[in-house]
Amino acid sequence: MLTDLYKFKQDLNRQGIFFCFSGPISQNLVSEIGSILEQKMGLEKASRSTVLRVFSMVVEKAQNIIHYSAEKYIDKKTDRDEIELRLGIIAVGYENNHYFVLCGNKIHNKKAGKLKKKLALLQSMNKEELKKYYREQRKKEPDKESKGAGLGFIDMAKKANKPIEFDFKKIDDEMSFFSMKTVI
Amino acid sequence: MENLIIEETKFSPSIVFDGEKHSLSITGKSYPENTSVFYAPVFSWLEDYIEKLDDNQEVGVNIELIYFNSSSSKVLLDFFDILDEAAEDGKSIAVNWIYEEDDEDSLEFGEEFKEDYESLTFNLVEKKPE
Repeated sequence: MLTDLYKFKQDLNRQGIFFCFSGPISQNLVSEIGSILEQKMGLEKASRSTVLRVFSMVVEKAQNIIHYSAEKYIDKKTDRDEIELRLGIIAVGYENNHYFVLCGNKIHNKKAGKLKKKLALLQSMNKEELKKYYREQRKKEPDKESKGAGLGFIDMAKKANKPIEFDFKKIDDEMSFFSMKTVI
Repeated sequence: MENLIIEETKFSPSIVFDGEKHSLSITGKSYPENTSVFYAPVFSWLEDYIEKLDDNQEVGVNIELIYFNSSSSKVLLDFFDILDEAAEDGKSIAVNWIYEEDDEDSLEFGEEFKEDYESLTFNLVEKKPE
């Protein structure tokens, strides 16, 4: 197990990943991750726009995990008071002179189709189309299933320097693992 | 009416809405866990305020958000919609969209909002880093 951990670190290094978190994510944690990344990129003299874009991708991805990950711990304290912790992975790295942000979490197979379609659409759009689409969607009421404005993925695609990359890996009859990469 | 004052947190901005000075300010970062819960009192104060506002009253709105997430962006649109409607009714409302010098995305957001509204005065104000 101990040697595996070093191998794990080497794997991350090889992929250019300098920050990686896997486990239950909370709002407080998002803020701490944001501030340590800000410090790190500050040392590397990244531009203010770049720092804010990386921060923004981390927040959107982490809040997606907090709101939607299908892997969760539930603690039923009383009938009304329920504490939920949802799990996922967030990683940040640097390759070919660009920062990138990765996220991954479990998703129910029955929800994967719709998300795949949505992301494929965003992947096919250019910058101008994404800007226009963002403004159109912002004027609409969000989907019933959305816990926010339903704009997170469009916002990331718009701020990214390259088309978003994503993958759905089937785990079993119920779940898949969703992962996504955005380059800043 | 009572002023609305909400203290800044790590994820939510400071809100200072002063109904006597007719000055409304939102400052800080905005990515609360539940955006609609956080902004509900802000909207209910604003609607009350606009209803009681005299015609031709000048109102100054300062938005200085270092960072806002995508659901806060929707909130801003709803917020400006209300102000624009009041401006159409004859109120004189000016928004200062204050963005950091090197923040291209915030400038772009400001430019797009400015384009969207006709009655509302929308100023883009660049701020030098401290």
